[in-house]
Amino acid sequence: MLNRIIDLFINQNLTFFIVTSLLGIHIIAAISGHLWTPYDPFTMLVGKPFNPPSWSHWFGTDNLGRDVFSRIIYGERFVLFPALIASGLATFLGSLIGIILAYKRSWYDMIGMRLVDLIICLPNLIVILIVLSALGSNMIVIILTITFFFTWVVVQTVRSAALAVVTEDFVIKAKLRGESALSITVREIFPNVISTIFVEFSIRTGYAVFFMGALSFLGYASKPPIPEWGLMINEGRSQISAAPWIVLGPALALASLVVSLGLFTEILSEKLGQSVQHRIK
Amino acid sequence: MHFFFRLVFQRVVLSIVSLAAISVIIFTLVEFLPGDAATRVLGRDATPKNIEVWRKRFNLDRPPVTRYLLWARNFALGNWGASLVSVQPSSAGNPGGKTMRSVADMVLPRLGNTLILASCVMAISIPASLFLGIVTAVFRKRRFTVWLSGLVLFGVSMPDYVTGILMLLVFAVYLNWFPPLSLINNAESTLEIVKMLTLPSLTLAIAVTGIAVRMMQGSLLQILDSDYVRFATLKGLSWSRILFSHALPNALGPAIRVTVLSLVWLIGGVVYVEVIFTFPGLGMLLLNSLKLLDTPVILAGTMLLSGFLIYANLIADLLAAYLNPKLRTE
Repeated sequence: MLNRIIDLFINQNLTFFIVTSLLGIHIIAAISGHLWTPYDPFTMLVGKPFNPPSWSHWFGTDNLGRDVFSRIIYGERFVLFPALIASGLATFLGSLIGIILAYKRSWYDMIGMRLVDLIICLPNLIVILIVLSALGSNMIVIILTITFFFTWVVVQTVRSAALAVVTEDFVIKAKLRGESALSITVREIFPNVISTIFVEFSIRTGYAVFFMGALSFLGYASKPPIPEWGLMINEGRSQISAAPWIVLGPALALASLVVSLGLFTEILSEKLGQSVQHRIK
Repeated sequence: MHFFFRLVFQRVVLSIVSLAAISVIIFTLVEFLPGDAATRVLGRDATPKNIEVWRKRFNLDRPPVTRYLLWARNFALGNWGASLVSVQPSSAGNPGGKTMRSVADMVLPRLGNTLILASCVMAISIPASLFLGIVTAVFRKRRFTVWLSGLVLFGVSMPDYVTGILMLLVFAVYLNWFPPLSLINNAESTLEIVKMLTLPSLTLAIAVTGIAVRMMQGSLLQILDSDYVRFATLKGLSWSRILFSHALPNALGPAIRVTVLSLVWLIGGVVYVEVIFTFPGLGMLLLNSLKLLDTPVILAGTMLLSGFLIYANLIADLLAAYLNPKLRTE
């Protein structure tokens, strides 16, 4: 799988190059943003309030005179890291459960799939909001609730990919050789579903970014003055006619992250021979 | 046909079971919200004696299982209770004490608004996704298809609150073509209502269309590559005949499924768009009730949404099975 991804770079697929560099910038901003923001993201009155974009303030300043560009760069970490953790956890758990269900089948599979059907029928946004109101909205609860809802979607995909592998000859032969269930799953099944898992991780990350932004947009995740993008969009909404740049900056940052993640997934899945299942969220 | 009815029966029974299971989950979650109904209603007037009276009234002195069963029975009978927070407008000045608004009175008008919005979105997105899906599949080798597909992908991956904000910025703030607030209940003329509905519908239609186009395109591409389409071409059938009477009916299944499911999503999941355009829909009501911890409204709203979701799934599956005989033999 890795050599196919490297192949994408060597073949100079221009879109893929642009997308990966954009994602690279986002990741660098998330890791090291706090070291090189032009202004301190929390200090008020580094410029006049409501300054339009200029050379000293690329994305202008907000109602308290804070530099919007610095806030966006600093805020990247509150978007990307929780999203990556949530999608990573969900992909891990979902793949594990999915492979086990496909391998065991019989009544494990029955119960598992009924559970999946049930959870997918819950209106996830409202339920997440109820959970957050009940347990208090701290980062761990947010990540875990998002993980919970995403896990079952991954289970669905990975299970159906693994089901196709389980009936293959080499798995049956391995069973007849008397290999242990663990060795069969790790050596025979897992390598054959890894591209599915990788694409699924990529899709889930996009949705997790969307969800993190949405939750703080609704006021349920980060609290001011943390410069999380969804929160910044919500805060800037009331001044949208006087100072549109306060909203525009984080909106464009979020859009560039999510769209490049979407494109990345698309090109990757095409290369790995997977189909992307988008769903309404 | 006999098989089809058995499928309907099976699925209906299953849906009732899942609805019951979901009601348990939601009821349990709502139970965990901070405080209880009695303290929420009384607020600052809470004295121990008062709380005791109201706890009895809300059955809070009974065990949770009994309370769930009572609530479930009342909910199924259409008796959704009264709000804990919202006061009946006509009784506000009533010296004899205030009456609380009934939950049905709060939820149903909002549901109506949301259904209006949802039908506008469908009116835009169904023709658009059919057209785009067919065009991108049929002309898949053309240059403009690459751009169209890129645009579709853009629509799929953009978060709807970002699209909404950008729409608001461009069309309401700068160009001033549409009002920034979509309070359709206060509109004075039909034209105003249409104007208010345009931006939220467009925002949602972009997301819905993107997903439906991709489903449509995917299934149509597969079918255009199939043997029977090739055979029809070799038989010398006309291009439009092959597309519209051979390929399209078979490709519609996934697209119908997505459309039906997105209708449900439009009813409950569009909270952000409702917030951005201040649209008085069900999502906004649920969000506000959650902030005020108005549990009867939360319960009723969430149950309605789950019910919609389950039955839309059911209808989508049955429609697909009805249209495509291959799916009936399972």
